[in-house]
Parts: sequence; C-alpha cells; structure tokens
Amino acid sequence: MTLEIKELTGGYGQVSVLKKESFKVEDGQVVGLIGLNGAGKSTTIKHIIGLLTPRGGQILIDGMSLNQDVEGYRKKIAYVPEMPILYPELTLKEHIDLTIMAYGLDHDKTWENANRLLKTFRLDNKLEWFPQNFSKGMKQKVMIVCAFMTDARLFIIDEPFTGLDPLAVNDLLNIVEEKKNAGCSVLMSTHILATVQDHADKFILLNHGQVRADGTLDELKAKFDMQDANLDDIYIKMSHEDL
Amino acid sequence: MTGLWKERLRRHQLGQFKYLRLIFNDTFVLAFIVLLGALGFWYSNLLDTIHSELWFGKIIVVLILFVTVQSGHLATLLEDPDSTFLLVREKQFYQYFKSAENYSRAIPIVLLIVVSGVVSPFAFQAGSIPVFDMSMLALSTIFFKMNLLDVELLGIYNKGSISGVSLKLLLNIVYLIVMFISVYTSGIIAPIVTLIGWIYFALQNKKQCESGQLQWQKAISDEDQRMFRVKRFYNLFTDVPGVTSKIKRRKWLDWLFSSIKLESKNTYTYLFARGVVRNNEYLGLFLRLTILQIILMSFIDNFYISLIVEVLFIYLVGFQLKPYFKEVMQNLMQRLYPVGGKDKIASFTKISNVMLLIQWVVSIFPIIYKFGFSINSVIIIIAGLAVILFLNYIYMPRQLKKYLDNGEF
Repeated sequence: MTLEIKELTGGYGQVSVLKKESFKVEDGQVVGLIGLNGAGKSTTIKHIIGLLTPRGGQILIDGMSLNQDVEGYRKKIAYVPEMPILYPELTLKEHIDLTIMAYGLDHDKTWENANRLLKTFRLDNKLEWFPQNFSKGMKQKVMIVCAFMTDARLFIIDEPFTGLDPLAVNDLLNIVEEKKNAGCSVLMSTHILATVQDHADKFILLNHGQVRADGTLDELKAKFDMQDANLDDIYIKMSHEDL
Repeated sequence: MTGLWKERLRRHQLGQFKYLRLIFNDTFVLAFIVLLGALGFWYSNLLDTIHSELWFGKIIVVLILFVTVQSGHLATLLEDPDSTFLLVREKQFYQYFKSAENYSRAIPIVLLIVVSGVVSPFAFQAGSIPVFDMSMLALSTIFFKMNLLDVELLGIYNKGSISGVSLKLLLNIVYLIVMFISVYTSGIIAPIVTLIGWIYFALQNKKQCESGQLQWQKAISDEDQRMFRVKRFYNLFTDVPGVTSKIKRRKWLDWLFSSIKLESKNTYTYLFARGVVRNNEYLGLFLRLTILQIILMSFIDNFYISLIVEVLFIYLVGFQLKPYFKEVMQNLMQRLYPVGGKDKIASFTKISNVMLLIQWVVSIFPIIYKFGFSINSVIIIIAGLAVILFLNYIYMPRQLKKYLDNGEF
C-alpha cells in the first residue's frame, strides 16, 4: 500500500491551512507526522480520510483517489481519531459488530482478530459496557481495536500516545509493528517524539502547512546539520527557524 | 453587580427566545391549538356532568394548586467560571441575587394565575368553594411561591435545612396542611400565614446574603441542573446543543433486534434500532405522544377532532424522529464507512415505519371504541396510514437527502 500526497492545498472554509504539501508513505512503512500545534497535522489527516475536500493537489492510495471509488478507497483506510468517537447507545460488542457490517468484513475471522486485540487491551471482560462507562483511555482502546481488526492497508492514527497508559502504548506499538510486517503502512501524528523516534521508519516535519523536511532520522540529522541530535533537538531547531 | 445581572439576563433571554422561536413553529402552534381545543372541550363536558359537590372536589383543587406552586425555581444564571473569576466579589452578590429572585418570580406568578383561573369553575362546582375563598387560595399560592424562592436563595448560603431536614420540604408540608384547613374553614387563613412566612424569609435572606458564606459549588451545580431541565424541555421540540439524553441498556428488549441480520446493508438499521430503543429521549417521545393520543382519542366523540388528533400525533412522532438521524450523522466515524447515503435513509425509513405503524395499530383501539365499525372509523384509520406513507416515502427521504447533500454536519 502506498499513500501519495501531491501538492495538497486545503483547510477549513476559506482558510488554507495546507499549502502545497507533498509526501509519500511507502509499502510497509511506519511514518511519523510531526509538527507544532496548528502546523496542519490533523488537517492533513482529515484530507486523507476524506472528511475535508482538497482545494488543490491530489491524494492517492495505491494510485486511486477518493473520487474514483469512494467505497474502495474507504475500505483501504482505518482511522483512529485523536478524541475517541463512539455511539452512546451501542455496547462495546455492538461497536465491533457494526464495524464488521459497515466494512463488509468476514464476521468470524474479524471477531478472532478483535478478541485477540480486546484481550491485549484488557477489554475482553467489558463487551457489554456502554461508552459512558469507559474512561478516555479505554475509549481510545476501543477505537484502536475497531481500527486494527479490519483488513485495512493504511492505518492512520492521530495522537495515539496521549491518554493511553504506558502498557497500552507498548501494546499499540507492537500491533503497529505486526501490521508493518504484514505489509501495511501506518501514518501517525504525534508530539511524543521520544516514542515515535524509536518506532517510525520515517518522519515528516510539518511547519505552517508545508513539509519542512522528511526522511529517516539520519537523513534529518544531515539536513539540519546536527549529527548527535535526537528528534527532539531537530524539532526544536525547526520551531526556532521562523522566530 | 446589577450590571453583571443585566448582561447575564440579556444573554439568557436571547438564548431563550431563540429556542422559543424554534419551538413555536407552525406545526407546533397548530398541534397546540388543537390540543388546547380538545382539552377545553373535554373540560367543559366534564363540568356539565357535575351537578352537585363532590367529596373529593376540594382535595383535587388543593392538590392541583400545590403541584403548580412547585414549578419554577430560582434562576441565578451563575456560570461555572464564576467560582474562579468572581470569587473575590462574593459579598456584593446580594444585589445580584435580589435581581435574580425578582426575575424568577414573573413566570410562576403568571402560571399560578392561569392555573387558578382554569381550576376555578371546577372549584366552584365540584368543590363548592366560594369565590372569595378561591381568590384567597390563589393569592396564597403566589405568596407561598415567594417563600419557596427565598428558601432556595437561603439554600445556596447553606441555610436551606434545619438540622438536616430540608426547609423546603417542611414548608411544603406546612403549606399543604394550611391549604386544607383554609378550604374547609376560612379562606383568609392561607394568605395570612404565607404572607407572614414571606416577610420572615425575606428578612432572613438579607441577613444571610450579607454575612453568610455563599456555597459556590452548590449554587453553580443547582443552576446547571435547572438549565439542563429547561433545555431538556426545549429538546423535546428542537435540537438543543449540549443536551445528551440518557441511555439505558434495556437488555430485556434485545429480542426486538433479533430479526436484523448482521449484513452490510443492515448497518444503519442495526444502529438506528438500538438507538431508538435505548435512548430515553426518542423512546420517551414515542411513548408520551402515543399514550397522550390514546387518552385523547378515548374521550373525543367528535369525528373531525378525532381525525385531526390521529393525523397530527402520527405526524408529530415521525417528524420528531428526524433529529435522531441528524444526531447519528454527526458521528464522524460513520462518515468514513463505505456505505452510501441512500442506504442510510432507507434504514431510517425502515425504523420510522416500524415505530409509526405500532402507534397506528394502537390508535385503532380507541377509534373502534368510540366510533365502532363505521365509515368514520375507516376514514380515520386510513388517514393515519396515509400520513405514515407521506412522511416516510415523500417528506422525510427528501429532507434527509437534502441534509446529507448539504453536508451541514
């Protein structure tokens, strides 16, 4: 699965948040999308999943755009939002059933995946619970389960590490690794640089709606001319550039 | 402080007007007039059947007035940030609360006058209460409401109870007793007792507000709850942001969903069916209106009024399910599902059909009871069915499609 963003321009209403943004996520790659608040991370994600319509440029998944085949495009993506979004009137079990129905997945096979994930996140004894009984972290885990049990090829995770307990962060990273090994791609936006530094193959540094730099940690070190730096240092240097 | 109150009040009233305008739309006004007419008709029929005093006449009058006097509370219009930002000005809040109390008096007074007026003919006829006594009783309800508001104000200064017993409860018990004594002996007793109470509590208030300690947390949460109740009421008629209705599991109703197969095309049927059964708001709306319709139709002898009630109530239930569709469409995750808008609307139509058909079938019983197996019955029943077809196959699909196309969400 490859995701290609070509000269994407867009935003909310008349305000252009993204200005000719371009980057690529290759097959089996885990990519970290990094930037300050307001740099355009969530806006980029909203464009990819199709909640916002680009004003210019193209978004292609395996060479296919949303307009060419809405259902096909959507089936390739699984999304975990920053703020968990659940149906107040459905139990955890019903959320899983509904997702299976909506994406036309194989019932038994998907439930097998789901059960494994539920166990990992210690939710397997809460199948009858309503969202109102869950804490924020638990809701986020439900979102993760619903996303990672599908057959999607591209996983998009918005700020996955805030709100999760350290054990869950670790579990999530293992699942991401598993998906990567299966040839899927993962795009995650985050501020927790120390975590993403060790687990992503590539980083995209966004600034003012444009890609300031992208590449592996080594490539970034070279670009910013900071040989002993970690991602934190590079990030801070980039943020100071426009001051 | 009065400046702050005026600003708050202006903003509050602006919000209220917005909702009232939404509530009093054409449909509602029509329904309201018909309902009022039907009730008036029923009431005048009822009065005609009463020729001598009934033993429970006085009791009913007292109870109706007593229940009415409970409605309306102190609107302080306090907001959550006040406990942080206005903490330092606590001592100056007396003036603010006085204005708040004055404002809170208006609606209950109007309501009490109207209810007393409506109850009067019944009181004269069934309770044999003299005109003078009835007026005194009505006056006492207004005085007593002032007592209650004063006590509520005392409550936010933590003086709302005497050794753990709620002052409000005590006052209510005393007032109920006073009302009964008054209707069975002399009408003048109730207003005198309540007037004395009012003067006493007003003096208490002045003392407390100037020297006591304001319970911010309680005051703000009381006001929150009051606003929530008001908004929940508005929410019956229109969408009010920030009002989330209660969800109940109702596992014992799970059999209702057993016919919905776990197939891709049933995605939204699966969702909507659970929503309307578990969401108190929509289930409540359906039950309230259906029961009210059945009660009305069991009393109405007039063919035309019965016809209007049947058509109107089915229309109202169907029409007011629309916000539920919108509510679900607001959910971001479902917008990513590879399911088209057509399927969403079709699923909604299915659920709406089931609910309205249940309502329609239930309404057949009072129709047969009142009109027997006659041509009139047939006309009313067919009219009900026609409304369902119109709503679910002509009106709603277009409205919902427009909503989805506009992407208003």
